[in-house]
Amino acid sequence: MVLEAEIEVRRGGMTVAATFAAGDRETLAILGPNGAGKTTIVETIAGLVPTADARILLNDEPIHDLPPERRPIGIAFQDGVLFPHLSVLENVAFPVRARGARTRAARTHGLELLDRLAPGIDPGAKPGTLSGGERQRVALARALAGTPRVLILDEPLSAVDVSARADLRALLRRTLRDFDGPRLLVTHDPIEAMTLADRLVILEDGRVSQTGTPQDIREAPRTRYAADLVGMNLFAGRLTPLEAGAGELQTADGVMTVPWPEGIPVGPVDDVLATLRPADVALHTARPEGSARNVLQGVVEEVAVVGDRARVRLASSPRLVAEITSGSAARMAIGAGTMVWASFKAVEIHLMVERGPTDTL
Amino acid sequence: MRARLPVAIVALACIGAAFVLLPVVALFVRAPWSRLGEALSGVGASTALRLSIEVSLAATAISVLVGVPLAWVLARGEFPGRNLLRAVVVLPILLPPVVGGVGLLVALGRSGLVGRWLHDVLGIQLTFTTAGAVLATTFVSMPLVVLATEAGLRGLDRRYERAAAAMGGSPWYVFRRVTLPMVAPQLAAGAVLTWARALGEFGATITFAGNLAGRTQTMPLAVYEARQVDPGGAIVLSLILVVISVAVLVTLGGRLTGLR
Repeated sequence: MVLEAEIEVRRGGMTVAATFAAGDRETLAILGPNGAGKTTIVETIAGLVPTADARILLNDEPIHDLPPERRPIGIAFQDGVLFPHLSVLENVAFPVRARGARTRAARTHGLELLDRLAPGIDPGAKPGTLSGGERQRVALARALAGTPRVLILDEPLSAVDVSARADLRALLRRTLRDFDGPRLLVTHDPIEAMTLADRLVILEDGRVSQTGTPQDIREAPRTRYAADLVGMNLFAGRLTPLEAGAGELQTADGVMTVPWPEGIPVGPVDDVLATLRPADVALHTARPEGSARNVLQGVVEEVAVVGDRARVRLASSPRLVAEITSGSAARMAIGAGTMVWASFKAVEIHLMVERGPTDTL
Repeated sequence: MRARLPVAIVALACIGAAFVLLPVVALFVRAPWSRLGEALSGVGASTALRLSIEVSLAATAISVLVGVPLAWVLARGEFPGRNLLRAVVVLPILLPPVVGGVGLLVALGRSGLVGRWLHDVLGIQLTFTTAGAVLATTFVSMPLVVLATEAGLRGLDRRYERAAAAMGGSPWYVFRRVTLPMVAPQLAAGAVLTWARALGEFGATITFAGNLAGRTQTMPLAVYEARQVDPGGAIVLSLILVVISVAVLVTLGGRLTGLR
């Protein structure tokens, strides 16, 4: 199953024009700031924008002429959009019943989904009594209830408390991975996009500014926005305790000292993600003195100047991207092949620990 | 701390309240309590009351059946003349009911525009029938449920209906399971107002359907007739209507008056 979309919509003085494709069992993130036209794209694919000029193909079969109710698409909407007058179970059963199934069968199917995705939530509760995270779980169950061929998640974490995000992110990851078909993840959050998606489409002012894997975009962001948000250093590895309040993150290609994440029992933790902003990495021509816990040496692979900033890619272990002003880069005479020192404080590193059930794949 | 109100405002407010309360109190004071039963049977109160309830409920049912789709078209339709249509629909609120009655007469009366055809071809006569009373009452009271429902539809977050459509709901299914339940409070408030207005309808009914006991003589018409032959009976009938209205107010609590 492959989804191809070619969309052009004029809406409220803005034109959204985007072309992209999501392969079978591929998660494609549409990443962009608020107002970039992400929701318009979702609604156009769903058939909710009558004025849209769109060509949407599912395995080469056009679906853009179908009314919304006949498109095989499941959407978990931003903020859930759960029907307030229906119970949790009735919400989840809605897509099944809307397609003509018997009430009993729809309820059984809905209970199964709730049991899997939202255990512990009373199926008879009204959505108004749920927390943001619970609502999102129900919305996810409802998106899958109609057994769609394409799954779309629209800002699945935006209305969710920080404390509930780790569990939900783990659930999203499993749900996306297990979904048999193209998956779209629409988000303004680069971390969400980079950690959950196979490929990214970056949308700015209604246009696609870049498409590629997180790795591609991190290494060569084409716009200021992409550089700021996606051009983040991302590490994954095993966390072990080092001393009070600190730990050591062992990645595939190096080791660094990181703050111990709050609320996590002291002990080895697997599958930890860490991000570090390139601007938080300082570069030096000699070994620096000071309080920074992480000091690495490496050869400069590439210097890319975007505006007045220079992005410096280092073949250190682990590999790093640093961002300094282009003036500093010139003063330090940094170029490809130069040996430099990089330093960054442990507290600049943001850790994400997925506490949900460990992946079984 | 309580707000301190200017004396002038309090005084005017008292006059306003007294103005509404005084006639109601007067009805209670002057009612022929000693010969209540006699007065009631003399003016055919039970017949008129039963007819009033039947006519007002029938008019409310028709108003909801036709008025809700009308509200939907007004709230959601995009077509030239929509504002004109809304003005036409609201017209009966502004029009003196007797004018509505005259209009119905020349439209649906035996020699009326459509009524002639109804009578000659289908053999249907509406004037001087209970159906005619229902029609006249509907004409006057329907705008209330249309306006309330339209306001509800306009205030409804469209994302719910869009989500329902995207989840496989046909337009009719979405209307039935999402739109209608979500505007139910406004619709219900509108229906109650419509019913209250229908219960008090006088002018259009007496003009179009006449004043025939047992067929078109609803409570207000009975009061009007009793007024000429038996003033005491008129007071008793009026009191019954007051009691019904108060009962509705109490039952609905703030829901009716708190309508936005």
